[in-house]
Amino acid sequence: MDNRPKNIFARAGTWLMNLLTFVIAAIWAVPVIWALVASFRPASEPMSRGNVWFGTHLTFENYERAWSLAPFGQYYINTIVVVLLVLSIQLITITLAGFAFAHFKFPGRDVLFFFILLQMMIPTTALLAPNFSTIRQLGLFDTRLAIAIPYFGSAFGMLLMRQAFLAIPNDLVDAGIIDGCSWWQLLFHIYIPPSVPALVAFGLSSVAWHWNEFLWPLVITNSDKSRPLTTGLVRFTQLGEIGARWSLLTAATLMVVAPLFIAFLIFQRRFIQSYLHTGLK
Amino acid sequence: MSTHQHNPPRRRIPVLPYLLILPTIIFVALFTAWPVTLSIYQSFFLQRLNIAKFREPTFIGLGNYVELFTDPSFLNTVSNTIMYVLGTIPVSIAIGFLFAMLVNRKLRGIGLARLAFFHPMVLPMVSAATIWLFLFTPNYGLFNTALKFLGYSGPENWAGNPDLALISVMIVAVWKNSGFYMIFYLAGLQNLPSDVYEAAALDGASAWQTLWAITIPLLKRTTVFIVTVAFIDAFRTIDHIFVITQGGPSDASTVLLYKLWQVRFEYQNIGVAAALTAIFVVVLLVFTVSNFVLSERRKD
Amino acid sequence: MKNKSLYLLFSVLVCALLIISGCAQPTPEPTEKSAEPAATEAPEMTEEVVEEVPAEEPPEEEVPAEEPPEEEVAESVTIQVFYPVAVDAPIADILKGYIEDFQAEYPNITVEPVFSGGYGDVHTTIQTTIEGGGDPPALAVLLATALYDLINVDYIVPLDDYVASMEDGEAYLDDFLPAFLSNSTYDDQTWSIPFQRSAVVMYYNADMFADAGLEPPTSWQSWAEAAQALTVTEGDTVNWGLHFSSDWPYWLFQPLAIGSGQNIIKDDCTVVFDDPAVIEAVQFYIDLSETYGAMPPGVQASWPTDPPDLASGATAMIAHSTGSLSGLLDQADFELGVMPYPGKEEGTYASVPGGGNFYIFKGAPPEQRDAAWKFIEFVTQPEYAADFSINTGYIASRKSVIETDAMASYLQEVPQAQAALDALQYAGAELSSQNLAEVRNIFHNYLQQAFNGEMSAVEAMAAAQQEADAALEPFCQ
Repeated sequence: MDNRPKNIFARAGTWLMNLLTFVIAAIWAVPVIWALVASFRPASEPMSRGNVWFGTHLTFENYERAWSLAPFGQYYINTIVVVLLVLSIQLITITLAGFAFAHFKFPGRDVLFFFILLQMMIPTTALLAPNFSTIRQLGLFDTRLAIAIPYFGSAFGMLLMRQAFLAIPNDLVDAGIIDGCSWWQLLFHIYIPPSVPALVAFGLSSVAWHWNEFLWPLVITNSDKSRPLTTGLVRFTQLGEIGARWSLLTAATLMVVAPLFIAFLIFQRRFIQSYLHTGLK
Repeated sequence: MSTHQHNPPRRRIPVLPYLLILPTIIFVALFTAWPVTLSIYQSFFLQRLNIAKFREPTFIGLGNYVELFTDPSFLNTVSNTIMYVLGTIPVSIAIGFLFAMLVNRKLRGIGLARLAFFHPMVLPMVSAATIWLFLFTPNYGLFNTALKFLGYSGPENWAGNPDLALISVMIVAVWKNSGFYMIFYLAGLQNLPSDVYEAAALDGASAWQTLWAITIPLLKRTTVFIVTVAFIDAFRTIDHIFVITQGGPSDASTVLLYKLWQVRFEYQNIGVAAALTAIFVVVLLVFTVSNFVLSERRKD
Repeated sequence: MKNKSLYLLFSVLVCALLIISGCAQPTPEPTEKSAEPAATEAPEMTEEVVEEVPAEEPPEEEVPAEEPPEEEVAESVTIQVFYPVAVDAPIADILKGYIEDFQAEYPNITVEPVFSGGYGDVHTTIQTTIEGGGDPPALAVLLATALYDLINVDYIVPLDDYVASMEDGEAYLDDFLPAFLSNSTYDDQTWSIPFQRSAVVMYYNADMFADAGLEPPTSWQSWAEAAQALTVTEGDTVNWGLHFSSDWPYWLFQPLAIGSGQNIIKDDCTVVFDDPAVIEAVQFYIDLSETYGAMPPGVQASWPTDPPDLASGATAMIAHSTGSLSGLLDQADFELGVMPYPGKEEGTYASVPGGGNFYIFKGAPPEQRDAAWKFIEFVTQPEYAADFSINTGYIASRKSVIETDAMASYLQEVPQAQAALDALQYAGAELSSQNLAEVRNIFHNYLQQAFNGEMSAVEAMAAAQQEADAALEPFCQ
């Protein structure tokens, strides 16, 4: 990543811009930083004016309490299974579909393209009862597969892959064809290699989305052996009879997102780098 | 529309592409198209599950649509939705672009800044909204504290003031999504050709001119993609409205999908809910299709 | 190449995951599927579901049944109970304890609790299940006010036969506090049994009152004046004397109407908004901020923050649920006072109940419904109800519960809990009508407009009455 002069900010007042960047970044992160601090605050010390950060001492009691109020261990496992299951199938379907739309011309292509795109546009609310009925008829009720299966085809992913594939230079593709490559070989040797970053980019957004999905899993599962983290979280955010227990709430929230954050932190460099080559011009 | 138009030779209608998209089509058909078709079909019937005599559907043609469009509460919902969409999309895209520019530099610790801008995407919307619920608390919520620090002395009742309620949920949405759009702009910026910039520099173009005359036009495809995603997302995400304002006060923050929820699950009016779904789908479809047609027509 | 291996890796990952998702469940699951979906499973499932079994064998099963092995005594039954979690207490553990005791006493009944979030989520889950062709649970706890909605969609069964079959069914029903049973009857039948109930009360900082030389208020007048006196301005921040949340206003507002002489609900088809007493109550709320300067103006979206604000001293009084009591006791370092709202006239008071009841579902087969009733009987026994109440903060729902040793000593130790209980004698019925969601949303809409000064109280209530009557009409002919 080099400092090419196309960046307006690189020229004007670099030092000021650096400061601005970090200040804005700090501000942007305040909500989560507050949540982190609040989660270590004793539950018996309420928030009040001028006293919303640290309590009199740091404590793990909120995490212990949150952990005990729902079977988070099982929920973690379920969430990971669902998320990985969805992602692995999606990677296959979106690659094949993106390839088909980018590489071929066939009758009804545009119609089918928008048909698939519909999937991005339908609110979950409208889908609940009919999908419930479909899942029941497939005999999948209360399984992790049931949570995952409606998402095996991904319109967003197909869109992204199609964009990425379209950005491959024509000469490369033509060279491949002239060399007598089959479609399979074209896909694997010409289209996919430069698009792996796009796959990774999609993977990140798919994982984040399905890790945090709430309503459909809640409705399609009944038992803790299939339920994901968000259903446990909802026990803390929907405490209708009482006021907010900020310490407990923030602890539970952070427990749910911590693995994602940590994974993102660790793989941040690679993820960002791969995003940077998704072929979107 | 594609830059590659290859056909396996010696076949008039290639079978292969259909096979390739078949898995996706199956899942989409089963779990999206079928429910939507059902919805659209149901929208022409009167069916209210909580009134015994209306429990079985009766055909009423466009009756549900007429009922909607003559209902002032629905029209209020439409105007709220328009305001919400116009308020969140340009702002979050502009901020995303700004962030991308800011972090597209070689600087120690810039990765940390990237993380800070991007991390809200990783949170469940319910959690993000709950944290912001605290931030919006009058008097000591951090958002109000910060505003007062900057000299703001206006109303602080973000969730209870009808003029502010919609803005409060827009703020949460912008905070959550800007980082996501930043990523795509970052990709676009990285892939810009340097020769154009060198030429511009040689011509003595100012930074501002370069930005508007070169950078932004070159990022058009990225922008179109982001606008599509942002538009759809603005319609589809309402978790934060449940948490912060419950659609109020006095329906001030009720948007289309929230109304759909109410009608479907609270009022159990299947017909009207189906009509709302149909409207929802049509709006998004029209937007997406026209977006694509317009963008693909101009070949960069 | 790297990419082939990448795809190979993915394919392996896929297969591995599909196998894992099939096998990783701790208990073997008839419905859990691996890569090959359903064709063989589907007929089995639908058969189990559709069969309405006569009174003996075979055992009827809910879909994800954790069924004890088939060699049990005849009439093995499994029921599911859907619970909402609306308080910060280990409800799951508490209930599981009760279930164990219950299953020990009734070895042929297995109870599976399902926790699906708050009342709204539980309701949505049940709705989706029934509409999607699934089996509803035999038993669920839903809002007491959901009665007419549930009857209208034909989800629940009346309980009179069960009550009649008890040794002394009438005494059983009479034992429940009348305020709580008031939302259980329709058409001369009983449809629900109170379980986790609460009430609206006013909490106050007794120390602040003492310091200011004030007595707890006994009328609207003294209430407003006390709140005014306790409003303190420090620099540019105001510590209001009273916080009175109104972003979900009907519940906290009702005792104002009741205290003014007219509750907003008369029966399932009659709501009373456009009434001088009700309008006065609306005006009183507005006056508290406008005339007395005792609370923040407009709609207060402060339900989550009011208890911490009282505890931290940022305010002297709040209107809230009895469910917040334990949290407040935990956080407050002053003497906490609990009382019903003062009524308009001197020496009068008002409150309103809330919370959830047990409902038995029509779609469940008869054996399950019978088993569900047994569970209700078991869990509403005085000792269990007392234990539940003490550990969760819900109010004791039966008179005999109050008389148990555990509860009696608890009430002595925690006088605030006694005060919460006492508030119930002033309670009117909670808003519950036909087409409740729509009527309630209409009321909220106009009430909030009045609070925010967009309409006068008179106009708002007139408009609310008109729209609510229109919304009720198709249900009440």
